[in-house]
Amino acid sequence: MGKKHLIDFVDISKSYHHNLVLDEFNLYIRENEFVTLLGPSGCGKTTTLRLLGGFEKPDKGQILFDGADITNVPANERKLNTVFQKYSLFPHMSIAENIAFGLKIAKKSDAYIKDKISYALKLVNLDGYENRSVDSLSGGQQQRIAIARAIVNEPKVLLLDEPLGALDLKLRQSMQYELMRLKDELGITFVYVTHDQEEALTMSDTIVVMNQGYIQQIGTPEGIYNEPENAFVADFIGHSNIIDGIMLHDELVEILGVPMPCVDKGFGINKPVDVVIRPEDVELVAPGSGKLHGTVISNLFKGVHYELEVRAAGYEWLVHTTKYYEVGQEVDLDVIPFNIQIMHKPESSDEKAVEIDE
Amino acid sequence: MVKKTLSRIYIFLIFLFLYAPILVLAVLSFNRSDSRVSWGGFTLSRYVACFESESIMSAFATTLEITFCSAVIATIIGTLAAMGISSMKKRGQAIYLGATNIPLLNADIVTGISMMLLFVRFTNLGFVTVLIAHITFNIPYVILNVLPKLKQANRSTYEAALDLGASPVRAFFTVTWPEIRSGVFSGFLMAVTMSLDDFSITYFTKGAGVNTLSTMLYAQLRKGIKPELYALSTILFLTVLLLLIATNINGDKKVDNRLIRRVISAVIMLALFTGSVFVLVQQHRISGGGDRTITVLNYGKYIDGELLDRFERETGITVKYEEYEEPEEMYTKYKAGAISYDLICTSDYIIEKLIEEDELLPIDDSQLTNYENIDPALIEMSTFDPSHQYTIPYFYGTLGILYNTKDYSEDQVKSWDLIWDKQVSGHLIMTNSVRDAFSPALIACGYSINDTDPAHLKEAQMVLSRQKPMVSAYYVDETANEMIAENASLAVCYSGEAALAMDENEHLKYIVPDEGSNLWIDSWFVPKSCRNYQDALTFLDFLCDNEVALQNFEYVYYASPILYVQTHMDIDDRLNSAINPENRVTRNCEVYRALDNDTSAYLNTLWQELKSQ
Repeated sequence: MGKKHLIDFVDISKSYHHNLVLDEFNLYIRENEFVTLLGPSGCGKTTTLRLLGGFEKPDKGQILFDGADITNVPANERKLNTVFQKYSLFPHMSIAENIAFGLKIAKKSDAYIKDKISYALKLVNLDGYENRSVDSLSGGQQQRIAIARAIVNEPKVLLLDEPLGALDLKLRQSMQYELMRLKDELGITFVYVTHDQEEALTMSDTIVVMNQGYIQQIGTPEGIYNEPENAFVADFIGHSNIIDGIMLHDELVEILGVPMPCVDKGFGINKPVDVVIRPEDVELVAPGSGKLHGTVISNLFKGVHYELEVRAAGYEWLVHTTKYYEVGQEVDLDVIPFNIQIMHKPESSDEKAVEIDE
Repeated sequence: MVKKTLSRIYIFLIFLFLYAPILVLAVLSFNRSDSRVSWGGFTLSRYVACFESESIMSAFATTLEITFCSAVIATIIGTLAAMGISSMKKRGQAIYLGATNIPLLNADIVTGISMMLLFVRFTNLGFVTVLIAHITFNIPYVILNVLPKLKQANRSTYEAALDLGASPVRAFFTVTWPEIRSGVFSGFLMAVTMSLDDFSITYFTKGAGVNTLSTMLYAQLRKGIKPELYALSTILFLTVLLLLIATNINGDKKVDNRLIRRVISAVIMLALFTGSVFVLVQQHRISGGGDRTITVLNYGKYIDGELLDRFERETGITVKYEEYEEPEEMYTKYKAGAISYDLICTSDYIIEKLIEEDELLPIDDSQLTNYENIDPALIEMSTFDPSHQYTIPYFYGTLGILYNTKDYSEDQVKSWDLIWDKQVSGHLIMTNSVRDAFSPALIACGYSINDTDPAHLKEAQMVLSRQKPMVSAYYVDETANEMIAENASLAVCYSGEAALAMDENEHLKYIVPDEGSNLWIDSWFVPKSCRNYQDALTFLDFLCDNEVALQNFEYVYYASPILYVQTHMDIDDRLNSAINPENRVTRNCEVYRALDNDTSAYLNTLWQELKSQ
């Protein structure tokens, strides 16, 4: 994507009561991009969003918007709008009054406001709800009103702070599609905060995986999923087998005492590494024909596949398979070289963050 | 079925215990008779009198002003504080909330005393100190009402408003305010209720002359209950009740009748507001003052107000006149340095104490042209001022026996012996004041009423305990009313009470027994804090003028030390020993000397023993 940067975080640090939440944080967001900040609670993603919204000030660093420094611009003067986690509709106002709130402050004409309200309600599929009270709406409807209230102001950026967190699965999925549709229709930039990796993978153009105030990896959903750069990302994005290994030399790694061919190079000789193997990449073969011998110790039916736990060489492997195996059955495991992902062990302090789990 | 009946009876009993006292009060406020035990027919005159009484109305106005101002200011401060607390971290919240709640739990009297001590350090006690005190104790109530609303409101709506472009001020008023409004209003009503209701803190922080309804009620009750106070108390109770109902309606979301709520709030605000304006206007009228001003402190209702006007007219000196009710209260505040007056009138034993503590300036009698008008006998009797240079006697009275002529003849009551006699059993009211009860007992044993010998006091106690089975009641303030209603036929009491009772019931007479008794003298003195000595003396001289003294006597109705008054008063009064004791009487009487701490403690112990026998 060759588009220009709309937002730049430059060397941002922020702490609460001696608790460092963001440390030397750098990130850019391009125009018309759907960026998701993904990470466990306490990773600094909400703080990043609040800094951008203007509800917090960084201890150090700058935030640039369209090239201009907005670090000290108060929230009400920033050209962006937020959809809050708890909807935050004004309970004493009607739906129309809620949506009109920003427009009235901007001193738009009554006719303009009226048009905008009905346009926004159509956009979020809540036509004719103008005079309803906030209390009479369901959670999903309230969230859509919150979105409508934000977008009528035609912000350049829409910030969304876990907006679907309080909704049930079905509603969440349909709202995900609506959000993607809105993004395409409005052509504005979305900065989306969530801890739900599926949500992030579904909607984003770019995912920023964060932990303990550090960015762990930035990439497309596919890139993040298929090529996690470290154990934290691998573990956070779907379940993985993460095993200690030794890189014997280029293209050969020893896992649990068994040398296995792989495709990675340049890690040196006899170097300790982390090895990631996705559960769907583990192949179950007849005993005697694989690299590792093991026993099935549990079997869960998941609809599309079975989720097995197989004990082999002292490690409990997570395996996804479409074939049925009985508990106690003996099997061999095999992995093709391409599906073995080799990662550096963490060394510096920011890399340490990858080890500590949520 | 039985269970249900029993539980109903139980609830009924609870309510009976809770509300019976107030019910009695309310019923008495409609009683035509002054007695507390007999019903004399229905009347609204107590209520009328209540509204006609200048002291009640002025206390009422002060109350409204303090209540309104303190509630408004406390509401503003409390709301802001609640907003600050709600945006803190949990631990900070707990600490601050705890700190603001301590004054709620603290004993009022402790709060009151500590505030007095603090205020006295910086300023004189007065209206402003009461106001500050009320604001202080009202704030926690406001916080407690507003905080839950703020928590409900959730901060993110405020942020949402900012996000949509509203300035912080606009965001507060359009978004936060509507959500906390009901909490703020109930906080305000709560503050009004508390402020209206408070006695202890007001009592300690008020200056002389500032009275709210509660402190005035207290002071009046000490002097003797006047039935219009029942009416006032009933009104006060109903007001607080209404306010509480209003608070609850306001807090109750189900009562959605906004009109009713608005009307209630409007009425309350209007009442408070008019009250405040009324007082402000009044105060404005009173103050003014020029260079020649004297500040005078006197017991309540102890001068004819017209005389003050006349003095100001004749001399051009402005009198800032203030009143107090309790000599101990005056003494404490005086010693704390909270009062600076040019002239004070108080009781004999307090003056004796103040002279010992060297708090007074000598009065130069050569400057008093009317000094000769004073009965030399009274000056002679002012033993509390041995050098006779610090005081000018103002009014005096005696301790004696009030009796009903239908039951007793003058000959029978000529001696204290009667009150120790079995024949009075069941219709004797004994005074409930320690020293006054011991005085006749000491006399009966042949000692002085100022005797401090523990053995003599013990002997007097024996006399009193032999008398106890015959006493129908120990009273002070209630004596007059009970005698008027003829619930008793003999009472040991002060001449002032006696004179009041005699006015109401022609069969009552008062006598000071031949053996002598206590004589009290209230006198004027000039405190060291005096700033206008010359004009203070002019005022004293004015009070000693024959015609002035006569007019003043007719208002105050106690025995006057001015000889001209004694000879020129109305013939009935002249014959009334309660207000014009004969020389024979005063000669035999003694003035109380201040007791040392040990004796007064011992006396109290003896009295407690007697009462618990």
